[in-house]
This record gives sequence, C-alpha cells and structure tokens, in this order.
Amino acid sequence: MVNATKGLFISCDIPMAQFIINLNASLPALQKFIIHVIDSTHLFVQPHVSEMIRSAISDFRDQNSYEKPN
Amino acid sequence: MDMVASLPAMKLDRLYANPFICQAILRSLPPLAKKYVLEMLYIDGPVSAKMLEEWVLADGSSKHRIALDRLIQLRIFTETVDRKKETSYRLNPTFQINLRKHLIDREVLPREPMPSNIVARLPSLEELEAYALGQWECFLLQLINSTQAEKLTNFSSSMMKVFQRGLLSQREKEASRLTESGFQFLLMDTNAQLWYIIREYISNSEERDIDPADLISFLLELSFHITGEAYNMNTLTEIQRHMIKDLADLGLIKLQQGRKESWFIPTKLATNLSVSLTDSSSRKQGFVVVETNFRLYAYSSSKLHCEILRLFSRIEYQLPNLFVGAITKESLYNAFENGITAEQIISFLQQNAHPRVAERIPSVPENVADQIRLWESDLNRVEMTPAHLYDEFPSRDVFEAACDFAREWCGLLWEDSKKMRMVLIYQDLPEDPTGRFHDFKQFVESNFDVFKWIGLLIILAQGSCILLAMALRALGQNHGSNYYSDDEYPPARLPLINHNLQPPSFVVGDPHFPSKNDAWNVRIHSQT
Repeated sequence: MVNATKGLFISCDIPMAQFIINLNASLPALQKFIIHVIDSTHLFVQPHVSEMIRSAISDFRDQNSYEKPN
Repeated sequence: MDMVASLPAMKLDRLYANPFICQAILRSLPPLAKKYVLEMLYIDGPVSAKMLEEWVLADGSSKHRIALDRLIQLRIFTETVDRKKETSYRLNPTFQINLRKHLIDREVLPREPMPSNIVARLPSLEELEAYALGQWECFLLQLINSTQAEKLTNFSSSMMKVFQRGLLSQREKEASRLTESGFQFLLMDTNAQLWYIIREYISNSEERDIDPADLISFLLELSFHITGEAYNMNTLTEIQRHMIKDLADLGLIKLQQGRKESWFIPTKLATNLSVSLTDSSSRKQGFVVVETNFRLYAYSSSKLHCEILRLFSRIEYQLPNLFVGAITKESLYNAFENGITAEQIISFLQQNAHPRVAERIPSVPENVADQIRLWESDLNRVEMTPAHLYDEFPSRDVFEAACDFAREWCGLLWEDSKKMRMVLIYQDLPEDPTGRFHDFKQFVESNFDVFKWIGLLIILAQGSCILLAMALRALGQNHGSNYYSDDEYPPARLPLINHNLQPPSFVVGDPHFPSKNDAWNVRIHSQT
C-alpha cells in the first residue's frame, strides 16, 4: 500500500542545502528533521522545523555582516 | 476614476449634468475609449457592436475590449440587445448633450476670477508652489506621526485616524508603526499620494452626511480653475465651504482674506487632479544623487525627504540643505523587513534623481541597482512548501497514473521514477475533502478490493473471538479456575459473586466509585 508522509518540501540553492544538512547532522538523533534528501537542491523535512531553519539561516547571515560602529 | 464608476446610476447621471465633469472623465479614459466617445458624439441612434469592431485592427481587439468595458462601467455607453440578439451601443444622452455644449461654447466656469483692484496682493506662482508643497509635507509628516512635524494641521484627530487607517498600525501602548502599505505610500509619487488621500476623504464623507457626488464634482471643477487666480468665496455653496477648509490644509488651495471679502486660490496640486493619470505629469525637481560607491547625496531641506531616505539608507551627515547617507546591507535589510521591495526603492531613487544625473541613463548606477536586488533575493534563498511524500507504490502503472493525475491538478512537486516516489503539494482538508486526495485514495484502493475483504474478515474474526472469550469467562467462574494466581485475593472470588447478588446498598453509599469495579467496593467495605 502506498505510504504518505506529511512534511515540508524545501527547494534552495546548493550551499543552503548543505547548510541545512549540516544543521541536521549537528542535532541529537531525536531531533533530526530531514526525512529524505532528494537531490542537491531539494530536501524533504518534517513540517515543524520551518521556523527553526529560517532563524538558523538568518543567524548565519548576521554572522557574515559587519556594521561600522558609529 | 474608479470612485466615479462605483457611484450608483442616479448619482452618476447627476454628475454628468456638469460639463466639466464630463470633460474630466473624458480625459481620464484610455486613448481608444476617448476616440470612440468622440466619434459617437454626434450620432444620435445606436451603433451596432459589429461596426465598432470594424474600426479596430485585428491585433487591437484586447484594447478594444478594455475600452468598451471601461465605457460601460462609467455608464457612458449603454448596451442594448435587440430581438436579433445583436448588441448595439449608445452614448449616455446627458453626457452627450453636455459634451457637445462644452465643445461649442467656450468653457465657462461657474465663477470668474476676481478683478485685481479688489484683490490686494496675489502670491506669485513660485510662492504658491512653495506654500502648496509646505502644506502637503506638513500633512504627510503628521500622517506618519513623526515628532518632527512643527505645526499641526487643522484636521480633527478622527479625520487623521481615517487617513491613517491603512497606513499605520495602531497599538495601544506602543507608538504606532507604519505598516507595509504605509511604507509603500511614502515612496509613491505626489499625484498618487494625493489621490489616495482624497479617495479616503471621499469614502469617509458619507459618514459625515456629505454626498460624495457633490465632493467629486467640486474637486473636478476645481481642477479646471486657473492656478494663481483668486476666486471669491461667496460663489461657493455651504458644503463647498466646508470642503475648502480641509482642502486648504492639504495644500490644494490657499485661502486669503481681504478687508471685505475672502477668496481662495487653487494651487498646482489642485489643477493637476484632472490630468489624465496615463500621462506623466510634470516632474517636480529631483534632489537625489546616487554614486557608484553607494553613497547618497540629497539636496533638500525637507524633513519629509529626510524621513523617507532614512527608511532605507544609513544617515551619515545632515547639513541644512544637504543630506548625506550610505546605502548599506544592514539599512536595506531593515527596509526589507518593513515590507518595502527593492523595486520601490530603485524607482523612488530614479523618479527623484537630481537634474544633474537625471539625463544620464541609467540615473541610478547599475551596480547599485543590481546590488539592491541581489540583497533582496538573499533574503529569499530557501523556499518551503508543505507537502506529502508518497512512496512504495505497488506497481509502475499505478505510479504513472498517479503522476499524471497529480500533474493534471498541478500538485506534483517532484517525482522519481526509478525509486517510484513523488511529492505532492499539501492542501488543507477543508479546502479539498472531496477533491484530489479522496479521488487519489479511491484510485489506489480500487486495486485492493480483495485486501479490503480480507481486512473485514480479520476484524470479524477478532470480534467473534472477543465474544467467545467473554462467554467462556462467564462460564468459567463457576469452576473456580485459578488463572489469576498472582492475584492477592483468590479466595475472594467466590464471595464476590455472592455479594454481587445483594442489593447495591454499598454502591449507593459511595456513588463516586465506578460501579464496574464492584470487587474493590465490596472489598473495602468488608475490611472496615
């Protein structure tokens, strides 16, 4: 019988995909969220992690920014 | 003009009694519609739709459609279908008569400019323009609740709230913040902003018992007056006098008072009202120079411009007539979080380019424009869609059929034919209970009738087993079989059955004990 799994389909560029896979690998086994790595630019993850991924990406982006002190 | 179109039919006919309104509306029509109206102006009878279509080349049929729809919406054309099912169009008679009159007679305003011996001192055109801009900026600053507004306009706070409705989010304890549409409003050009405010004003007028048709007719009439000429106040009706004060606060009109009479002078903002919105109105003086090193130099002393530029750039210096800023990634991220898009910022910079750089193409350097767009797309690197993953299809045919079905419904996100897996967009159940998923499930299940019967058989067998077990249990009590050896009270099994036959006085005494567990009830009472 066909299996249906509910989740989130992520499409991004290759560096971001690697970032998400790295984030997944750094979490303990209970909290791993990637259900399936489809290819180098698409992932299928659990549905509740969208906010966590977004905040992780924005933290990563902020680390790369430098604001000149006034 | 959508406001005019939304008025009910009777009011629209009353509006068309005024020749100036007819002319203003004519100016606002798309070019093809203008041509149709002028051609039909002196034709009294209806014209069949086929003839109208012959006037247009084949590739203009979409514009033809748009023009016709607009004319019917404004009730300028009336459509009739006769017995032979042919449509024909006729020009609205009031509109027709008035426009003809207007063409033939010279345009005569309901009021004449006052002679200059009564009018003491008329402001020059530059002074008038400066006054109008000053009033408008003051109004805008007050609108966005800036603490920098020096003097407050005379609008009551309820009126300001109406204007602020779509633009500011009011929260009780915090200071009100601009919403996304508020930011976009600030970056629009003056004509669009003016029309937005006037639209809000007119739609609010019904609550104040002023007929919107009167308001619209007065505004459009005003736009035909000559800028800089004084008109006597006593030619205005009562309603118009009320309006005049509000319009003066917006900067459309300047009020002046002489010794005996008072008059009003329309400014450029008022006369621009009826300019067709498809033409570009005369650009006011730009003031922004953007350099390739991402620096911004704005030659303006206006506080409003300063506020707008601070939305997306980092201020470096502010001199009395110069504002120096830098467009940085952080300042742009701030702007993007507030809902402003890169295109709006770039078009604002282009529209307000200083005359020195305005002739250069492009007026905003390409590297700056491209970088702003890149920074915007940097925020959207990841796209997430809620979806379902389907795998372990029983056969390739089922998989292919399901794929085609999903493609038809545009729900297929990804498929892998080698491993027979696919991902479909997830739709909320309330939206799609009898749609795709139900069909899909049925489609797959129809191959599994046999399994369904087997499943039913298993459930029936389990049910009958349970009944058999209960029956055996009831019978087996009398034999005193010792199944529950680890039960502490096996000798109590016999007295349990005897006690159950007593009238349930114990149970009544403790109603909160569940009656199923009679054993424990009786057990406790026999102890006490």
